[in-house]
Amino acid sequence: IANHTHPYFNVDHGYLEGLVRGLKAGILTRSDYHNLAQCDTLEDMKLHLQSTDYGSLLTAGNEDLTVSLIDHRLKENILTEFRCLRSHSLPPLSTFLDYITYSYMIDNVVMLITGALKQRDVAELLPRCHPLGMFDQMAAVGIARTPAELYSAILVDTPLALFFQDAVSEANLDEMGAEIIRNKLYKAYLEAFYKFCQESGGATKNIMCPILEFEADRRAFIITVNSFGTDLSGVGRSALYPSCGRLYPEGLRLLARAEDYEQVKAVADYYPDYKLIFDEPEAGSSRTLEDRFFEREVKLNTLAFLEQFHLGVFYSYLKLKEQEARNIIWIAECVTQRQKSKIDNYIPIF
Amino acid sequence: MDSFFRSEEMCLVQLFFQTESAHNCINELGHLGLVQFKDLNPGTVAFQRRFVKEVKKCEEMERILRFLENEVVKSNIPIPADFTSETIPVPRDVLDLESRFDKLEQELKEINSNRDTLRQNFTQLMEINHLLKVFDAFLFYPHDRFVAGVIKHERFPAFEKILWRLFHGNFVLRHAEIKPHEEENMDPVKKDVFVVFVQGDQIRGKIRKLCDGFHASMYPCPNNAYARKEMRTNVNTRIEDLRLVLKRTEEFRETTLTAAAANLQEWASKVKKMKAIYYTLNLCNIDITQKLIVAEIWCPVSDLNSVHTALIHGSEQSGSSLSPVVNRIQTQQTPPTFNRVTSFTSGFQSIIDAYGVGNYQEINPAVHCFDCNVSYPSLQLIDMLVDGRYIIFLMGLFSIYTGLIYNDCFSKSFNVFGSSWSVRPMFHPHGPWTNDTLHDSGHLHLDPLVSGVYSGNPYPFGVDPIWNIASNKLSFLNSYKMKMSVIMGVAHMLFGVTLSLVNYINLKDVALQFIPEVIFMLSLFGYLIFLILYKWCVVMKSESAPSILLLFINMMLFDYSSEGTVLYRTQKPVQIFLVVVAVLMVPWLLFAKPLLLYRKHKQLKFLSLLFCLSLFFGVKKAFVSLQVSMADIFVYQGIHTIEYCLGCISNTASYLRLWALSLAHAELSEVLWKMVLQVALRVTSGMGSVLLAVTFAAFAVLTVTILLVMEGLSAFLHALRLHWVEFQNKFYKGSGYKFTPLSFDRMRDMQ
Repeated sequence: IANHTHPYFNVDHGYLEGLVRGLKAGILTRSDYHNLAQCDTLEDMKLHLQSTDYGSLLTAGNEDLTVSLIDHRLKENILTEFRCLRSHSLPPLSTFLDYITYSYMIDNVVMLITGALKQRDVAELLPRCHPLGMFDQMAAVGIARTPAELYSAILVDTPLALFFQDAVSEANLDEMGAEIIRNKLYKAYLEAFYKFCQESGGATKNIMCPILEFEADRRAFIITVNSFGTDLSGVGRSALYPSCGRLYPEGLRLLARAEDYEQVKAVADYYPDYKLIFDEPEAGSSRTLEDRFFEREVKLNTLAFLEQFHLGVFYSYLKLKEQEARNIIWIAECVTQRQKSKIDNYIPIF
Repeated sequence: MDSFFRSEEMCLVQLFFQTESAHNCINELGHLGLVQFKDLNPGTVAFQRRFVKEVKKCEEMERILRFLENEVVKSNIPIPADFTSETIPVPRDVLDLESRFDKLEQELKEINSNRDTLRQNFTQLMEINHLLKVFDAFLFYPHDRFVAGVIKHERFPAFEKILWRLFHGNFVLRHAEIKPHEEENMDPVKKDVFVVFVQGDQIRGKIRKLCDGFHASMYPCPNNAYARKEMRTNVNTRIEDLRLVLKRTEEFRETTLTAAAANLQEWASKVKKMKAIYYTLNLCNIDITQKLIVAEIWCPVSDLNSVHTALIHGSEQSGSSLSPVVNRIQTQQTPPTFNRVTSFTSGFQSIIDAYGVGNYQEINPAVHCFDCNVSYPSLQLIDMLVDGRYIIFLMGLFSIYTGLIYNDCFSKSFNVFGSSWSVRPMFHPHGPWTNDTLHDSGHLHLDPLVSGVYSGNPYPFGVDPIWNIASNKLSFLNSYKMKMSVIMGVAHMLFGVTLSLVNYINLKDVALQFIPEVIFMLSLFGYLIFLILYKWCVVMKSESAPSILLLFINMMLFDYSSEGTVLYRTQKPVQIFLVVVAVLMVPWLLFAKPLLLYRKHKQLKFLSLLFCLSLFFGVKKAFVSLQVSMADIFVYQGIHTIEYCLGCISNTASYLRLWALSLAHAELSEVLWKMVLQVALRVTSGMGSVLLAVTFAAFAVLTVTILLVMEGLSAFLHALRLHWVEFQNKFYKGSGYKFTPLSFDRMRDMQ
């Protein structure tokens, strides 16, 4: 992969970078959220969103306005934008964008496996898959009974095959197994993506590596916290930790040994950034650990826009847009369920 | 005529009309298009306004209209051309239209969904038909374990691959592409028929699951030949039936849509007006009794009468007993800027508005826009007809004019009046030249002192054509054009400063700003122009003529020791006087205005002290804000002074771009002549004519693309810059806001 220096970047990616920066200007601001949070009904929200870049997104069609409809439309919107970017992109940006979709593919595969284990119909499951992670062979995922079969029959043709080297086993699939496959795939995926960004060099490396490091560490923390109370051992856990984060190697070794939340917190204390996240929130704030991770992610992603001529903006834009969708959905949920007290728990972006 | 130079005089008017007549009144005003409604509920968010429900209803109707239009366009039904309805949308229309639209939409949706199911059935039947047709060919021997179905063409390879991977080849797969039927082209998706023969029920179940995942439709297929044949005839009759039903549905749909299409334009304009009216009503206040609507509008003073008439007309239409009240109110607020334009001036006005909308009643620079186009050299005609056609037309005229002045057309000169210079007198016996001189020297010098060489009368119009063949043509024309640029630049800027006078008379500080500015510019750059003109007018030996550049620099440095800097006798005292005056203007400009304000402010302070004693708190507040703004005034004036004084120098230099452009243009046209056309003209053999035809084509193309289009564009851009920066910063603030009246005509144009 060529080391992209400034003068050549714009030849291939200048248009798209301009486009994505233009789109970024349409991300909702604090005052938008403030106005949205004052709404009493979804209709009010719709009216306000009309004055933003979303325009007539919610007005098309005459279905009843529900939270799930909003969610659907927002996802569709992100998808349209991403497809536009992807279809105009040239390598290495196209590869980079593909890498972004792999994480959704992993989630989709795991969802289909767990769905099949619960005897759900494929036709019912497919619409619930994330559209960014759609691929042809997806429909067949439910047929596989072991990870080995999953790999050799179905996923071998997909880009996910690359991440499968650790996950192949002959054990029967169960729900726990599906989770483990997810994390193993994710680990391999993150490491590969990290390597790709590192080889890209330049500003792409400077921007993307911290984001992916954070992503890796977040997964490590979350895996550890979620594994308490299950039969996943410390050794089993450490096989799932992505090794491209800043916790690697010392922090991960400590995490593998942790047995309760306090010990995880003690590990985080060694790292100033993570210490902030794990610190007790000030009284009155109802932010969960997840929220605080999201906040940190948003912060890292907004930094990407400070530099030019790199691929990170595309990743960051997508992630910020997803966060925005989460925010709108959160507000919409609060509005429909009349939970005005919790409405301010969204995470403002700009 | 006043409105030609300035924006219109506007007034704030309060309107009161009855709620019932509101629709008619606003409708009339919308047709008039001369009234801008002021938002009387600024802090209110969109969804808290009064008529938000009605606006929503209109939006819903618009959505249905869009839906209808889509359907109409999809079915290739023509929409009747532009239709302007004069009917007034009244509130009961909304209900009427709404129910009508709802009904229409439902009906159409029902038809569509019926049609879709019918079509789906039809495709399914067609697919079964195909399957049955090809099934026999697939069958080697009777076999009863198979899965048969139809899959999308592009999914088939992936499907096949997965089958192989899963069952390791323990199956027989047959497939055939469905040839699309001509008449049933409503389903243009390419599809494949496939039959998989396998052993074992478990595997069949898996394949079924797989088919589900791949969105393949599976069809039961009898495994004996007779049953298949029977099924086929059965299917065929059903296909025929369906075809008939489909046709009927299609016809019905078309009639419904044609009926809708006829009214579509009228409805659209009605709904649009309706929405505009409700949107406007949202800006107004409603009296507590709900009977009266209060609106505040900006409108041109000269149109006040027509506004009033429109209102009365509107209320009469609604049959209201009370006529609307128009109440002009005094206000401190800055009115919007409104410049009436015609098709000739609109191009210039939009250039100005692109820079900034003028302050209220600020002098309008658009009027003077064309004087900067003078700068464009060389003879050329541009006959492009684009949006700014008048700008281009004027540019063309001025180009021709400057071309004539420089006597330069395709780098050649016209000798219309006969040159004032003559070579013959230079020869023996009158002058020093002999035949030998011609042979010996490369350059010959025409001496105007020899009698008869220069006739004494300059060439009547433009540059003497003899310069075109002179070897020092370039240095002559350069010096000439450079000086012309400076003269024009200074004149242009002085004109700008003078225009600021007209703004100041409104604001009453001519002495503090205008006079020092003019004196500063005149005493330095006006003197420079004087030097240039003086040097042109007196005859001097070229060796002893002082350079104006050096002279001017030395004047600023008070350096009179070096030789050759004296142009006339009293030069030294005059120059010293002028520089001192110019320098004195700087503190005048810098301090006079703030100090005067400071004095006024001190008097005010005394007054406000009195007020404070009487415990008048509001004034104290005002007094504090005044003190804060004093520092602002000092800083602002400082910036303005520095900008103006330095600007005079750099802007003058900036006008040299006129010379640079002219030089580049003249050189380019010379290159095109010499390197392209002349090459062919020099060929004397018979092939010369052919070569000429070829080179002329190249010459013509290059002339048009480079000299006309490219250079024309660059000349326009430079003129624009000179106008925006060098000219406008002398007088134009451009920080007003534009008058945006409610206008139905404009709304229609925007579509």
